[in-house]
Amino acid sequence: MRVARMLPLAVLAAGIAGPAMASDTKVALVPGGPHPYFAAWENAAAAAAADFGIEAEYRVPAAWELSKQNEMIESLVAQGFNAFLVFPGDANGTNATLEELAAFDIPSAALAGCTVDPTAASFCLGTDVARSAYLGTKELIEAMGGSGRIAHFTGFLVDPNTQLRIEAVEQAVAEAGGGVEIIQVIADIDAPEPADEKINAFLAARGSEVDGIVTTAWVPSVVAATSLRNLGDKRIRMVGIDHDEVVLSAIEDGFVDGTMLQNPYGQGYIGSYAMDLIRQGCTMKEDAPWQQTAQTAHFIDSGTAFVDADQVKDYQAAMVAVTDEIMATFKDDFLVCN
Amino acid sequence: MLKGIWGSDWFGLFVVALVAGTGLALFQPAFLSPFNLYVLLISFSLWALVAMAQMVIIAIGQMNLSVGAIGGLVAISFAGSMEVWGLPVPAAILLGLAIAALCGLLNGVMTHVTGISAFVITLATLSIFKGLNIGITEAQPFYGVPDVVKAFGNARFEGLPHMLIVPVVAIILIWLLFNRMVLGRQMLALGANRHAAELSGIRVGRVVVIAHVISAVLAAMAGMLAVARLQLGQPTIGDDWLILSFAAPVIGGAVLAGGHISVIGTCLGVVIVTLINNALVLLGIDPFFVQLFLGGLILIAVGLNRWRERRLAPA
Repeated sequence: MRVARMLPLAVLAAGIAGPAMASDTKVALVPGGPHPYFAAWENAAAAAAADFGIEAEYRVPAAWELSKQNEMIESLVAQGFNAFLVFPGDANGTNATLEELAAFDIPSAALAGCTVDPTAASFCLGTDVARSAYLGTKELIEAMGGSGRIAHFTGFLVDPNTQLRIEAVEQAVAEAGGGVEIIQVIADIDAPEPADEKINAFLAARGSEVDGIVTTAWVPSVVAATSLRNLGDKRIRMVGIDHDEVVLSAIEDGFVDGTMLQNPYGQGYIGSYAMDLIRQGCTMKEDAPWQQTAQTAHFIDSGTAFVDADQVKDYQAAMVAVTDEIMATFKDDFLVCN
Repeated sequence: MLKGIWGSDWFGLFVVALVAGTGLALFQPAFLSPFNLYVLLISFSLWALVAMAQMVIIAIGQMNLSVGAIGGLVAISFAGSMEVWGLPVPAAILLGLAIAALCGLLNGVMTHVTGISAFVITLATLSIFKGLNIGITEAQPFYGVPDVVKAFGNARFEGLPHMLIVPVVAIILIWLLFNRMVLGRQMLALGANRHAAELSGIRVGRVVVIAHVISAVLAAMAGMLAVARLQLGQPTIGDDWLILSFAAPVIGGAVLAGGHISVIGTCLGVVIVTLINNALVLLGIDPFFVQLFLGGLILIAVGLNRWRERRLAPA
């Protein structure tokens, strides 16, 4: 059915797809829906367009629905886009759309989140979420002096990454040698109102028992940072995730110890670069230094970095450094170009 | 009077809430801590407005799927107008209420003029309002919320959050509307039997439009309270309101087909859901089973109330 709907695009797609000159690459960066995390993709697209002589645009579906994302991708094909970087609206469901694109020789890759193998995505470039959660918890334990009780606030339970994050936090705690205990995990708080309700209920009930908070999703980080600021509580140590202004400002003011930065800018920039090379005829190297995840055997870590009060004013420099490091060897490591 | 209270459709819910509160206090002493009670009242403040916004539409026998989208649009307009245009807070509040009134007017007029189900109309406007929200914000929050608004979101007097003033006033006004005013009676009459309401001379279109405007204004108040509480204009405000907006009035005894609602029952519905959410955190329930417990406990609360009503009903 969906293939049939795409057929009218085939003629158009045939004209725009296939090996081509560098200048005719037109990359669309499509998140799963609106979220501040992806805003850096827009700047990355602009920078990639300027640096690599391609067209690159950031297009956001109106809502977090797979059907809306699929419709947008189909519409973008009609508009002449010939390469796609997609945050999968569904790790399995998005595969069908990527296969349709591949059928028209339009390359694609999964960005910030992976599709499940077998997939038409050339690669998955994203944060190693387990490593980020693990390192963030390690930083928290260090800030707590090596012992204490911690709470973990995280995102959607239906997101397979959430389970990986929970396990990674548990692993870091287990390695702490018995001095650290997880007293509560609160999940499914990716919307601001329930996050506010549940995090504050936790602080009301167990605020005096907890020594540290680690958050592994955007909204819980923002809400927990706000709550600690409202309480004026600097006894409870916290390590957040991502780069929301609220979190960064709480780090500056001493309410939060630091945040685990992801690298959305690098994802967009490196992804666009790779799409252009693939459009020019490069292919992915089978023996590249791929990482294996639960979803794919073709994962590339886009990097993560801990930023504390000393680095927070210039936090972007940390991610630029990570991006530069990946870019320096990306082509040689992952692509075969004649 | 006691007999009247015993026979009221909300008494069973009151008992459920009381028992739940007492049980929680016994099992988890922190439940009665001033900060936890404050947190509960903050949650009640927001959810009561959301539930009232839906209850008004249920009263006329319709549904408003755009309650959260209106709340979200007003939230970002309220925060954005202060950050970008530097509007003073009162002007931003008026702007938010005006936007809500327009949204409600659109919902009401479209529903009445086209004759299409409000479910379909508000499904479409949900998308429009959310699309406007995303178009304006590009998914980025407005951070420039004035200190006075932030302070209001956190201020308390003797343990009572200042935010509570807004839903308390709204609840009193809504109670007066449905129990003391002709318009409220007309809404219930319309919900109970549209044909009979028309034959009795009720201007159905006017009532439908006013109900949608009231609903939107209540959603707007909730949206602005969320901004004050969260201290930023987050574009996702309202995304999570839909289920609770229906759950609380239905737990409170509202008939989805229209014609019967209970303001006190809806408030108790909000109290019960808030208590359950609070309990799930306080008792440290495994996050993977939270939804299961929440659904089960809501069913138990509704079941107990219906069981009591049947026992009271004349044979």
